[in-house]
Amino acid sequence: MDRVFRRRLEARLGPKLTGPVRQRHDETEIRIGAAGVTDVLRTLHDDPEFRFTFLADLAGVDTGTVMQVVYHLWSDVTPDWLRVIADGLSRDDPRVPSVTFLWQGAEWQEREAYDMFGITFEGNRDLRRIYMPPEYTSFPLRKDFYLPDDAARSPGAGIRHMEQVHVPRSAPPATSIRRIRA
Amino acid sequence: MTATSSRPSADDPRITLDQELGIFEPVPPYPPRTEREAEFYTLGDGQMFINMGPQHPSTHGVLRLVLKLEGEQVVDLDPVVGYLHRGVEKLCENADYHHTISQVDPLEYISALFNEWAPVMAYEKLLDVEVPRRAEYIRVLSAELNRIASHALFMGWMALDLGGLTPILWSFIERDEIVEMLGALTGQRMLFNYFRIGGVNGDLNHDFMSRLGDWMTRATDQIEANLTLLNTNEIFVRRMRGLGTIDGQTALQMCWTGPNLRATGLPFDIRRAHPFSVYQELDFDIPTRIEGDCLARYLLRLDEIKQSLRIIDQCLHRMPDGPIMAKLPRLIRPRPGRAYAAVESPRGQYAAYAISDGTDQPFRLRIHDPSFIHLQSVGQLVQGQLIADTMAVMASLDPVMGGVDK
Repeated sequence: MDRVFRRRLEARLGPKLTGPVRQRHDETEIRIGAAGVTDVLRTLHDDPEFRFTFLADLAGVDTGTVMQVVYHLWSDVTPDWLRVIADGLSRDDPRVPSVTFLWQGAEWQEREAYDMFGITFEGNRDLRRIYMPPEYTSFPLRKDFYLPDDAARSPGAGIRHMEQVHVPRSAPPATSIRRIRA
Repeated sequence: MTATSSRPSADDPRITLDQELGIFEPVPPYPPRTEREAEFYTLGDGQMFINMGPQHPSTHGVLRLVLKLEGEQVVDLDPVVGYLHRGVEKLCENADYHHTISQVDPLEYISALFNEWAPVMAYEKLLDVEVPRRAEYIRVLSAELNRIASHALFMGWMALDLGGLTPILWSFIERDEIVEMLGALTGQRMLFNYFRIGGVNGDLNHDFMSRLGDWMTRATDQIEANLTLLNTNEIFVRRMRGLGTIDGQTALQMCWTGPNLRATGLPFDIRRAHPFSVYQELDFDIPTRIEGDCLARYLLRLDEIKQSLRIIDQCLHRMPDGPIMAKLPRLIRPRPGRAYAAVESPRGQYAAYAISDGTDQPFRLRIHDPSFIHLQSVGQLVQGQLIADTMAVMASLDPVMGGVDK
């Protein structure tokens, strides 16, 4: 990342950023709060200085303490990927504005994040489960969802997975959950 | 399928399993949950619903399309996916870094080398490991062969979905030769498990090289022969031209990538837009077409085969000597961090976002699949077309359901 681009990011998005602009390999990383998603992504998309017209990826992440929504953007003004992390969503009721008004193709990716993490994207007009059946009750990619828990209700109940993390079944989820500072 | 417990749904407490969920009924037996669902499942005058799939010869896997029809015209369409969902991302979180390579293999099973490439690249970024140049060249060589095999199969499928049986028999000749060749190199015909973190699993061997040399002398002629089979077929061309048209800006807004996007005139290719591996040293063109219809998407893939042949030729001439694996311990524990890596697969941008927490298992591995993105715009493309054209549009987007459903 060149200095000019970093300064431009800091100047235009300054108050919205919740952390420093980071760089590792070919990835530039910025952090924002859920409230800033609409403004920051619209600026990055529309501003002729940025021109991030291509949404490469939209991913949900459960860090064990908070939820995140991670956007990867591409533009011809910088040789790096831009990673925008919408950080600090509560695990009880994660809510974030939808970006379907900029990229209609984000609709299914947001549906996937909703299906897997239970993140509500406000403004997505088709937010229903996409992979799991409609009567499904849990969010499989959350860190407090264990594979053996699911197996207990499934036709293959009782089969222990080889890759299972060995946590006592009686342990409360708060103590056994895998966490990361991300 | 029937269920008997009375557990309420997490989505909507109004849905319980008391209701016999007729999963294959076109209209769901519960009230609509979203704006779009309410709009779609309201019938206008003279309209009807019909299910295409989940088992249908032209859905390229297990996919259900709920078609809203007016006579024989498609008014709207709702794709229902998830029949092949295996939870690969969750399995990867519970597997060793090396094991995840074989977990992601069966996603887009037509071009499995690209499935391995993106996560492996992301792990290499996490580990700050430099891949030996010979390994990079072997990766490019084998991946481009895989791309040709995938596009050859696309050509056959495309014609098969339109009712022509001959091309798939022809294209399988070519695909089978490449697949056997890759089998000689990797030990597997389809799910290779060949790329390793820091290199590849085996060096080029005599069996592979002799098969490749043999095939390369005939490849151009064989491809030209395949081209004349369909490109001069008037029925095929007239059926495909102007069907499922999309313009570049809409395609970009729909997050399209790969040949489908380039068929609208935008020369966006990850190999050039964000170069990875040794593509920067190689000389090849990015073919584009401006029409953005089914025919353009079909012809563009044929152009790409020729470019892949050029790349393979250069790889063989420039193949450096040296090791094929970087020096790494057996048990790897990357420092906590995040990495994103994308490759240009035959269907578009195939990407992986890996998070490490310092243990020997990835904390999160997100797989971005191009088929998933392309499939969601089928509805827009077929509006106002005939039912039979749905298959043509579907085939021209070249989705692989193994990748869509993860």
